[in-house]
Amino acid sequence: MKKPVIIDCDPGIDDAIALFMAFATEKLDVRAITTVAGNVNLEKTSKNALKLAEYAGYSVKVARGASKPITRELVTAEFIHGESGLGNMVFPEPTERFYHKNAYDTIYEEAINCENKLHIIALGPLTNIAITLLKYPDIKKKLNHITVMGGSTELGNHTPAAEFNIYVDPEAAKIVFESGVPITMVGLNVTSKAYATEEDLKEILSYNNKPSEFVAKSLMPLLDFFEKLDFGGVPLHDPAAMAAVIDESLLKTKLLHVDIETRGDVTRGKTVVDVYGVTGKRPNVNVAFNIDREKFINLLKGLMKKYGI
Amino acid sequence: MKRKPVIIDCDPGHDDAIALLVAFASEKLNVKAVTTVAGNQTIEKTFNNALKVLSFAGINTIVSKGASKPLLRDLITAPEVHGESGLDGPDLPTPTLKPSDKNAVETIIEIVNESEEKIILIPTGPLTNIATVLLSAPELKTKIERIVLMGGSMIGGNWTPAAEFNIVVDPEAANIVFNSGIPLTMCGLDVTHKAQIYREEIEEIRNIGNKVAIMVAELLDFYGKFYERFGFKGFPLHDPVAVAYVIDSTLITTKPCHVDIETRGEFTSGCTVVDYYDVLKKSKNVDVALDIDRERFIKMLYDAIKKYN
Repeated sequence: MKKPVIIDCDPGIDDAIALFMAFATEKLDVRAITTVAGNVNLEKTSKNALKLAEYAGYSVKVARGASKPITRELVTAEFIHGESGLGNMVFPEPTERFYHKNAYDTIYEEAINCENKLHIIALGPLTNIAITLLKYPDIKKKLNHITVMGGSTELGNHTPAAEFNIYVDPEAAKIVFESGVPITMVGLNVTSKAYATEEDLKEILSYNNKPSEFVAKSLMPLLDFFEKLDFGGVPLHDPAAMAAVIDESLLKTKLLHVDIETRGDVTRGKTVVDVYGVTGKRPNVNVAFNIDREKFINLLKGLMKKYGI
Repeated sequence: MKRKPVIIDCDPGHDDAIALLVAFASEKLNVKAVTTVAGNQTIEKTFNNALKVLSFAGINTIVSKGASKPLLRDLITAPEVHGESGLDGPDLPTPTLKPSDKNAVETIIEIVNESEEKIILIPTGPLTNIATVLLSAPELKTKIERIVLMGGSMIGGNWTPAAEFNIVVDPEAANIVFNSGIPLTMCGLDVTHKAQIYREEIEEIRNIGNKVAIMVAELLDFYGKFYERFGFKGFPLHDPVAVAYVIDSTLITTKPCHVDIETRGEFTSGCTVVDYYDVLKKSKNVDVALDIDRERFIKMLYDAIKKYN
């Protein structure tokens, strides 16, 4: 049976790759895509989601959410994702319209429709999920799971202490992490292990379809940068979270207590993971520590092949 | 061969006691004084413990009592690790060594001032005394060769999930020391958790047979109880790592990084935020210790203890 999911995202190059995976797999029933401001502004992330779905020939509701974090000004990352959010790749203008409901009402609607089975895959700042939890507190008991790409048990990327998605809206992350909904955190400590090498990207490029071309050509320019940092290749953050929902056996997780720092001077948005259990607080998050890279990369390749060789 | 002039500022504490024994046994060091600070236990206890250990080992040196509480906060102690006395385990006689009538800050200032060579400070407790020295005698900065401290962590704390004990006890003092401009080596949990002693090695020490060796083995018997819950193979010898680095820097790998101290976070107070990937492009104020040759480190410990025959 297909797993009913909502993908909440801010495309974003790696969001786009994750969406291409979701559109190609037979394991997921994508009930809706909800968009949030993050990598670029809401107008762009929303339009990008429409473009990507249409481009892949996938019919799905796309609902717009928050244009800024709950209490803070928006921080974006054009320096990574380009002005449009999708790097240099030009996609045709969308002909489809946005769903008439906003992201929060769409998520709630699907939670009801899916009868406690809905799984949310959150690939951007957690603003939409937090607002949904605030507006519809009873949804907590109606969700099956939230898989979050965000945070880190080790180092950050946007700052030394914080990963970008959590840094952008730490208050939203706090609301989501304290909600009691089962959460899996796929953070930088594990997405750095879900990397694509030059060989992987060359192989994907050889599939000779446009989504594969997008994957290869957006990631290849980053190989040098990550090699200098001693990574094995380009880390695929959002695809790792997507893959973990498609095939739960990919991840090794531990159930631990995680707090979100919202007040620090130099630690805004740090996911404080109680690895040794020193706080004595109730574990609230399945924290991912490892991913089977071979299985992950093979899953990605298999899905990209579906767009034609 | 010229000995390096050092002052050890500590809060004995089991691992502080072992650090003192290693330092005084070394032909590479000239330990000019031992100053004590409140931390692992109250100031009366850490001061008395320093006197006890030094007296028992037949060491004659200047011992001064320092701060009884952090600069701004109330004191936190660690009886869970070090027991009610701060040095539970061996039964040590009343000290015979007479303490200095000057306090720790006066002693450090006097020695640094009067020395022809620059002094290396080795703090193995909260940084309260060192910060007070820098506040009251900022002109001394140029006469301090380097501060090699045990404290902090790049990845994960021990007292809280985000912070190591010495820094979380007095984050404001750490902030002053880390921003002083004095060359600084941080021997944090990243390296001290790799500097573990295994049970069979504790037996090796006991078998050396002299009274200091037996005391060290008994200290480690008690100290090890706390670390069983961390799931380590052995027990981390935190404070001796800082002394070992000054004796032989080739034991330890370091990387220059910018490090900030979090003083305001809700969950991250005392976190040493290490910019490993240089995302902030700020000046590198700390040499962060990341790895240690454990075998050689343990051999250094054996050799030091044999000198007390």
